[in-house]
Amino acid sequence: MLGRADFPLPDTEWGPTRPFWAAAARAELAIPRCDGCHRLHWYPEPRCRRCGGERHTWEGMSGRGTLFTWVVLRHAFLPQFGDGLPFVSALVALEEDPGVRLATRIVDCAPEALAAEMPVEVVFRPLRFAGVQGSVTAPFFRPVE
Amino acid sequence: MGNDSEWGFATPYEDVGGEVAIVGVGESDHTKASGRTAREIAAQAVERALDDAGLRPEDIDGIMYTPVAADFDERAFREHFGVSQELWVSRQGGGMVWAASAPYEAALALRSGRARHIVNVFSVAWATQRAEMVGGPGQMHAEELFKQSLEVPFGWFPQPVYFASIARRHMHEFGTTEEQLGAIAVACRRHANLTPAAVMRAKPLSLADYLASPKIADPFRKEDCCLISDGGGAYVMTTAERARDLAKPLVTVAGIGLGNSRTGVHWAEQGEFTSTPQRFAAPVAFAMAGLERSDVDVLTCYDPFTIVSLMQIEDMGFCPKGEGGRFVEGAALHFDGGVLPYNTHGGMLSHAYVLGIAHVVEVVRQLRGEAAAQVPDARIGIYGGYTGPQAATLILRRGDA
Repeated sequence: MLGRADFPLPDTEWGPTRPFWAAAARAELAIPRCDGCHRLHWYPEPRCRRCGGERHTWEGMSGRGTLFTWVVLRHAFLPQFGDGLPFVSALVALEEDPGVRLATRIVDCAPEALAAEMPVEVVFRPLRFAGVQGSVTAPFFRPVE
Repeated sequence: MGNDSEWGFATPYEDVGGEVAIVGVGESDHTKASGRTAREIAAQAVERALDDAGLRPEDIDGIMYTPVAADFDERAFREHFGVSQELWVSRQGGGMVWAASAPYEAALALRSGRARHIVNVFSVAWATQRAEMVGGPGQMHAEELFKQSLEVPFGWFPQPVYFASIARRHMHEFGTTEEQLGAIAVACRRHANLTPAAVMRAKPLSLADYLASPKIADPFRKEDCCLISDGGGAYVMTTAERARDLAKPLVTVAGIGLGNSRTGVHWAEQGEFTSTPQRFAAPVAFAMAGLERSDVDVLTCYDPFTIVSLMQIEDMGFCPKGEGGRFVEGAALHFDGGVLPYNTHGGMLSHAYVLGIAHVVEVVRQLRGEAAAQVPDARIGIYGGYTGPQAATLILRRGDA
């Protein structure tokens, strides 16, 4: 349907996000910074939406942030999500720039214990889906102890 | 209320207030999976809109449809009706935000004489096609490569998950409650129960029913989410001057505004996460119309989810930002005595999933006094169109002054 047998795993070779997934494989969280306005540039589209700059440089993040919002998935919107239910899909605001909100999953925490603005930290885990071969190491987040 | 900001802006519009009339409206049959094609559905809606206007297919010299699915284009129009005239064509029509902004494009075409009678049409057969679509209507999002790489793998997909995230954040920022979202679903269902064409006409919903329903994308229940149905709609536009000679009571376009978000379909990054571009659109439309929020008798909004209704009610200025939850409580949105009768046909939650075109049809019927859940003496009605990246406010008026 979408041309890839491993959907919904990410295509880690797709140019614009390849450095993100390569960093994740090394257990690092990397986000590009615009060379023009020096603000974090997310999503890594060809042009910076603030200054129009076309060059950016990927850099490592602290991996700390706050829980901006979250959803507890109890229905499989894709059949591939089916054997992982329930899970928490979330947006995390990064410490370096809370305007950057990373889509992620929250792990190691009961959904009832989640609260907006709670401090979270990155943790790298294999992403796997029902009926899909292989796995990809991905940045998830968990509450800070 | 600022009309330009870091996260969005209004498209500059010329004043077209009072120039355009909507003279014919039509809906297809609205059904669950029906085996019909989107083209067949659209043809039925256009036939009914022409009948309603008292116009013949030969009279139509302009057609508008959506940039995302051209199921009933100029060629299909000529083939279906067996006519051969040249047609002015705009792909800035159809449903969603364009069901609200199409009359602006039509106004410019009518003003310059490029067309005299323009039909705007939209249809979907997504209930029939659903099994073939990844994530249902999420298909287009699954195909967007940034989403495919950075959202879908984390389960931040499809639309119910984006908007449940927005609802959760709205609850955190403003204290909005599940009961308040439920009040929107209940009002829409009550209106659908009174509307013969509504898919959910025979299925009542109380607030207790809503709260007892399981959460599928917590904080959302399925009742927070729109239907998936097959259907379509169409409306015919001409100048206010020509409209006076036609069959139906005059309904004119008083004002239109279009607002834009700079982050497009990447909702996660929108500067004001719990707002819609109606914040930029509505001031333009109200200024063009020379009207206040208190002048509005009936409001309809593109409502894929309860929270999208709530945000647009706030962002259009019917209450201060953040107070939408308290504003919609109880019977506030009901057609009979509510402070702001809302989605009086049931909306996408309970009438049909035709992405806003039926909302415009409903507003026109309200202003003519033809609606099923009729607001007494409705004179000013609004359709708020939305796509995420854009929102538009269309203000309609009974008569022309």
